[in-house]
Amino acid sequence: MKKVLFAVLVAEVAVFAATAPNFLSAPNLFEVVRLSVELGLIAIALTPVLVTGGIDLSVGALLGLSAVVFGMTHQDWHLPIAAAMAAALMTGVLGGALNGAVVATLSAPPLIVTLGTLSLFRGIAEGITHAAVNYSGFSPGFLALGQGYIANLVPMQVPVLILTAVAFAFLLHRSVIGRAWYAIGLNVAGARYAGIPVARRNGIAYLLSGLMSGVAGIIYVAHLGQARADAGSGYELDAITAVVLGGTSVFGGVGSIGGTILGLLVLAVLKNGLSLAALPSESIGILTGTLLVATIAVDRVRRLERDVRASNRGELDVKNSQVAVICAAIIAGAVLVAATNVWLVRSLTTSGTAAAAAATAPSHPERIVVAMMPKAKGDPYFVSCRVGAEQAARELGAELIWDGPTSLDAARQNELIEGWITRRVSAIAVAVENRAGISTVLRKARDRGIKVLTWDADAEPDARDFFINQATAEDIGNALTDEAARLLGGTGEFAVITGALTAANQNEWISLIRKRLADKYPKLGLVMIRPSDDDRDKAFAETQTIMRVAPRVKLVMAISAPAVPGAAEAVRQAGRSGDVRVIGLSLPNINKPYVHDGTVQTVVLWNTADLGYLTMRAAVQVVQGSLQPDATSMDGGRLGGVDIRGSEVILGPPLRFTRDNIDRYDF
Amino acid sequence: MTLKSLDFARSRPLGSARGTPLAAPRIPELHSEFAIAAALAVLMAVLAIVSPAFFTPGNLRDVFVANLPVLIVATGATLVILTGEIDISCGSMFAVCSVVAGVAAKASDSVAFAMAASLLTGAMLGATNGALVAYAGIPSIVVTLASMVALRDGLRWATEGTWVTDLPTSFQWLGMPATAYHALAAIIAIITLVAGAWVLRNLGAGRAVYAVGSNRSAARLAGLRVDVVRLGVFVAAGLLTALAALLNSVRFTQVPSNTGIGLEMKVIAAVVVGGAAITGGRGTLRGTALGVLLLGVVGPALTFFGSSPYWERALQGAIILTAVSAKGWKR
Repeated sequence: MKKVLFAVLVAEVAVFAATAPNFLSAPNLFEVVRLSVELGLIAIALTPVLVTGGIDLSVGALLGLSAVVFGMTHQDWHLPIAAAMAAALMTGVLGGALNGAVVATLSAPPLIVTLGTLSLFRGIAEGITHAAVNYSGFSPGFLALGQGYIANLVPMQVPVLILTAVAFAFLLHRSVIGRAWYAIGLNVAGARYAGIPVARRNGIAYLLSGLMSGVAGIIYVAHLGQARADAGSGYELDAITAVVLGGTSVFGGVGSIGGTILGLLVLAVLKNGLSLAALPSESIGILTGTLLVATIAVDRVRRLERDVRASNRGELDVKNSQVAVICAAIIAGAVLVAATNVWLVRSLTTSGTAAAAAATAPSHPERIVVAMMPKAKGDPYFVSCRVGAEQAARELGAELIWDGPTSLDAARQNELIEGWITRRVSAIAVAVENRAGISTVLRKARDRGIKVLTWDADAEPDARDFFINQATAEDIGNALTDEAARLLGGTGEFAVITGALTAANQNEWISLIRKRLADKYPKLGLVMIRPSDDDRDKAFAETQTIMRVAPRVKLVMAISAPAVPGAAEAVRQAGRSGDVRVIGLSLPNINKPYVHDGTVQTVVLWNTADLGYLTMRAAVQVVQGSLQPDATSMDGGRLGGVDIRGSEVILGPPLRFTRDNIDRYDF
Repeated sequence: MTLKSLDFARSRPLGSARGTPLAAPRIPELHSEFAIAAALAVLMAVLAIVSPAFFTPGNLRDVFVANLPVLIVATGATLVILTGEIDISCGSMFAVCSVVAGVAAKASDSVAFAMAASLLTGAMLGATNGALVAYAGIPSIVVTLASMVALRDGLRWATEGTWVTDLPTSFQWLGMPATAYHALAAIIAIITLVAGAWVLRNLGAGRAVYAVGSNRSAARLAGLRVDVVRLGVFVAAGLLTALAALLNSVRFTQVPSNTGIGLEMKVIAAVVVGGAAITGGRGTLRGTALGVLLLGVVGPALTFFGSSPYWERALQGAIILTAVSAKGWKR
């Protein structure tokens, strides 16, 4: 297994060294390691759990809970950093102990136990922060732990990863406890008869996994500078992927720490290389899946061959059909990888020269490369921004790299920017998910001579040149509240359907809506807030329930793009169009049917295509030097002259889409 | 052993539900099903006192329809889990099948074609998973983890997050009145469930699923085509996922491209809370139906109780954990 994996790693490095600019440089390779520290700690601790034949799905949630506990004890209770760290570690240990106790003493299946604790830990984190509190503003000394360098080269947290790997390698491969883990994984009953305290040994594995989730939680906070209830979402699957790729069997009894590290590196290099080569983030998932199946299939073929040679019978209980399927899997994988390589090479011919030009003459590159990042790629809102950005790129003859996390993910944003810095793009424009965490990376980009802009949501003012401000949160909150008041005649009850409970934008809008209500509309009551998780179907079900639980609610305000059509469909199917009004923040296209039949009264949004267009124009002008820091207006192309206040480019007031004007917009 | 019991054993090669000693392991399942039914009854009783509005026919219908996709997908997942395998790609498959149904309906203007395309997609995706598990011998959690990630990101790549809009008018409710559709959906779900339970209990194919899950080597030695059974359950799971996606999509006039996120967790939780052993060989569709019902009612029930939305996820986790622990305690 390790040989196969090592070959994959070598192949990856060779391909990316040839196709991705600046891939093979010491700072980039160290950065790859920094970005995989949190995941690595979890994956290493997960290896013994899988070796015993168990699994732990709660690691990501426990990371989030530890991070939140750390933030809470330090900032709300004003304990010193050391005490807060102890509290976070204690949280990890307790969480791991709960898993261990239920799995080991009640002999309940670990998959379902940790599925339960996944919800439990994430739920507690959401509960104690009300999903909205985002702890940030930690001291620079602490943040250095996650953002600083040793000797200007090695990231601070890398030694932690190495120490952990060594400790776990010793524990798993050189200690009595480790032998017991393998024995349990190979045969529980046999292990018990051999005198191994199975429950206790299993318990230790889960306890350590919890402890390392706590450590990873602290490093996560130091790395990103924030602690929020959704920290580490989805880490469990990434960690399991790394461990399984590293040759650990999910049935137990087989696996090694070295393999896990190799698996981790293969995945990290793949991610980094693909983003350096400007391939879209979606290709990572597809390639990871292919790699996972293909590597294990190749390993099986090798083992089958070895068995054939060993048995020397030529006939084995392997059927032609089996060989055919394995070969098909490998060929399919190879085709996918080859296709991506072709694309890589093609991207090399255009972007490679541009990057080389940028490297030699950073102030006057032949072709300006602007890297633009949305908060989440799949979100229709950002998809419509991209349309405008591409239009501006065509007009100005600049190259646009458009990439971002596939779902809201602050850590992934940092990762992509690191890649772009290494790639030396001319300008970076980010829709910021996490203000505190991203600013350090953006400052680093500015130090390297890259122009930095923010759009949609701002970073720290000193971390960027300009912020393209589409409409302030107050504008949104006020517009929505005023619209609700107008429709209800200033009196009555309404409900809000938000995105995920942890969504930062939505939480800010809700607090501003509450403020507006208190200031101007005392007779208007916000009686219920329900989450939709940005899922239309969930918004539909929640609206149905709201109409039954609170019949006095006469207006539903949905503040997540997919939630507006969901709420509207529920109102329409209940036959209450016109009786229960629906307003919200969403895109015109998906709401047209409901606006026309009168279910949805008003949709509020700025012109997203214009936002993308303006951002791209501003980025190019900053690189060309025609937009200077003290400017008071800029040339907005088809938008005419655009005002600049301080360092904020103002797009204009939000649009109100109603039956009269909605057909004029297509996004 | 009498001649009669030998005959019996031959006609039902893997033991029947009634009468033979092989039926003995069913008893603990009955216990755990009883425990869930009791928990459900308590929840209902509290609801009846605190918030009788929950029991209006309209609300019950809404809760049922909202949980329909989970129920149908869980039926397929039960088959997979009974053979000792697992399928965590159903959420991504659900999204792919939904989008395929929408795109096909829009392209052809025919709902029948959309249904065929979606079901075929589901069956093929299921067959891919199944072939990799049964014939290439790769563990099912690895295969379905890979297809979960690859399908989700592939769909994101293809759709770029845009929804399928401007569907033909015959798409919503399959061109029927809403009430007729609701009745049809309920009938389909119940037929799927009852037929599945009947097959599992009475047909050779159904008993083969239990046999493979209980002891794969023994099943092979008993003359069962183990690889075919394993392939079959994945194909069935894919088909049922596509069916669920279809029945869910036609409730609306548009198809979003990001549905089904986290569906796999809901489904697996429901199956296991319903008493199925994750190691295979034990579990019933009746238990799964109860599990879906319990977990599906908890969400709306908490809203009716007026609980804070911020603590709901923690409560749901606690319920799963309690259900699992209670079972372990009894043992």
